[in-house]
Amino acid sequence: MTEFFVPKHIVPRITPDAAEFFAGTVREELRIQQCDTCGLHHHYPRMLCPHCGAETLHWVTASGRGVVHSYTVIRQNGVPPFNEQLPMIVALVDLEEPGARMLANLARIEPEAVEVDLEVTAVFRPASDEYSFVDFRPAVSA
Amino acid sequence: MGRRVCVVGVGLSDGPKTPDMTPMMLQAQSFRRALDDAGLQKNDIQGVATAGYAPMHEAQTCEYLGIHPSWLESTSVGGSSSEFHVLAAYRAIEAGDVDTVALIYGNTQLSTSGRSLGTGMAMGLSGPSAYEMPTGMTLVGAYAIAAKRHMHQYGTTSEQLASIAVQTREHAGRNPHAMYRDPITIDDVLSSRLIADPLHKLDCCVVSDGGCCVILTTEDRARDLERKKLVYVRGAAGASDHHSVQAMPDLTTTAGAVSGPKAFAEAGIKPSDVDMFAMYDSFTYTVLVNLEDLGFCAKGEGGPFAASGALRLGGALPTNTDGGGLSATHPGMRGLYLQCEAVRQLRGEAGVSQVEGAEIAVAHGSGGWLSTYGTVVFGTEPAR
Repeated sequence: MTEFFVPKHIVPRITPDAAEFFAGTVREELRIQQCDTCGLHHHYPRMLCPHCGAETLHWVTASGRGVVHSYTVIRQNGVPPFNEQLPMIVALVDLEEPGARMLANLARIEPEAVEVDLEVTAVFRPASDEYSFVDFRPAVSA
Repeated sequence: MGRRVCVVGVGLSDGPKTPDMTPMMLQAQSFRRALDDAGLQKNDIQGVATAGYAPMHEAQTCEYLGIHPSWLESTSVGGSSSEFHVLAAYRAIEAGDVDTVALIYGNTQLSTSGRSLGTGMAMGLSGPSAYEMPTGMTLVGAYAIAAKRHMHQYGTTSEQLASIAVQTREHAGRNPHAMYRDPITIDDVLSSRLIADPLHKLDCCVVSDGGCCVILTTEDRARDLERKKLVYVRGAAGASDHHSVQAMPDLTTTAGAVSGPKAFAEAGIKPSDVDMFAMYDSFTYTVLVNLEDLGFCAKGEGGPFAASGALRLGGALPTNTDGGGLSATHPGMRGLYLQCEAVRQLRGEAGVSQVEGAEIAVAHGSGGWLSTYGTVVFGTEPAR
């Protein structure tokens, strides 16, 4: 009988424009880009500022603080390994740094307790030597 | 002033379940039926627009059909691809680049992938999806997270979303080819299991097999064919505002708010002029937010408007009179089916589903996860 390899995590492909973001996660730093021209931040990393189009980007370490803009609870996902991890809470988090929004898992909270505008803070969950997932947990523990 | 453009042929393949057919067979079957509907032969087709999943899908399609077109279009933006194709074909015919274009789609989503409700396929691990897919996010989840925000911002309820599924099922009950025809209630929707909060199983479209073809040509050529009541393309527009969920400018407004008004302006119509709405109902929320974005009701009023019964036959805006993607057929990309139903209504061929006296019908395609929108306005009279 054939045994299929099922990864413990699905990890993104690390590309040169985002290497600093991924390296930061291993150090437990949330590295995002800020534009010198318009002052706004963004995630995921890019060559040009998605807000104003300028090339004048530099890296900053975000505070990790943010608020839940919206969320869903994934109760069906047929793709391994997610099918073993349900339900999963997926939230859009507006970072404290203006302009930056991330999609991430919420940890250390029950689905029923999540609400829009919940204050959250980043936590890092190692996936490999090259990457840790950026999750968010409630800023104030219940 | 360019040439006027008409729809002269529409064809639907067998469906909604065709385990013994390939996507190419479904495309060919619908193509043949659209040719017969128009009274055309294959070599009358000078242009082809199609979106598929294989490399050089458009060239493969033309070869399989035995045609050698001099105009091709293959914008591939999911469920709105076919509306972008009309936009391109309409302009090309109007300008005189080509006279007759076939828009074709076919897929065996049900027989190939099964009923996974958009939760069985891995999204990509490179590009923007790489930052979202590792969270366990699904296609349904992307719509759900937008619906949740709409609820928070405007007080939209699960019951209002459910009413869209209920009314669409009423339409499906009149369509012998629909996948599900038995009536459902709001309680049925709310008691079906949650797939991604707040969307239940019955808030989600079906998965089916199927192919569809629409043929466009010049008004002069359409008159020569003398086959059917003329249906004009009065206006068309497309818009795109994100790929990944985190890049959505506003979870409660889609790019339909750009494509819709632009197409309506070209067509010289107001929302209140629309007699029938063919809306890409991937999920109940897709319909709700686009009722607002196209101006059928005010922003935030999509829930009450839908729950008023507006989408029924005899309602303020009969919507998806074939039973839509929610109940009838959804073979991966539904954009061409919207156009087929709009044309059927404007020709007065919709039988028990007929919207009496329909003169203006809108097909509004939605692609990706509320990402790309294409709007086409059809009418029994030209815009100019």
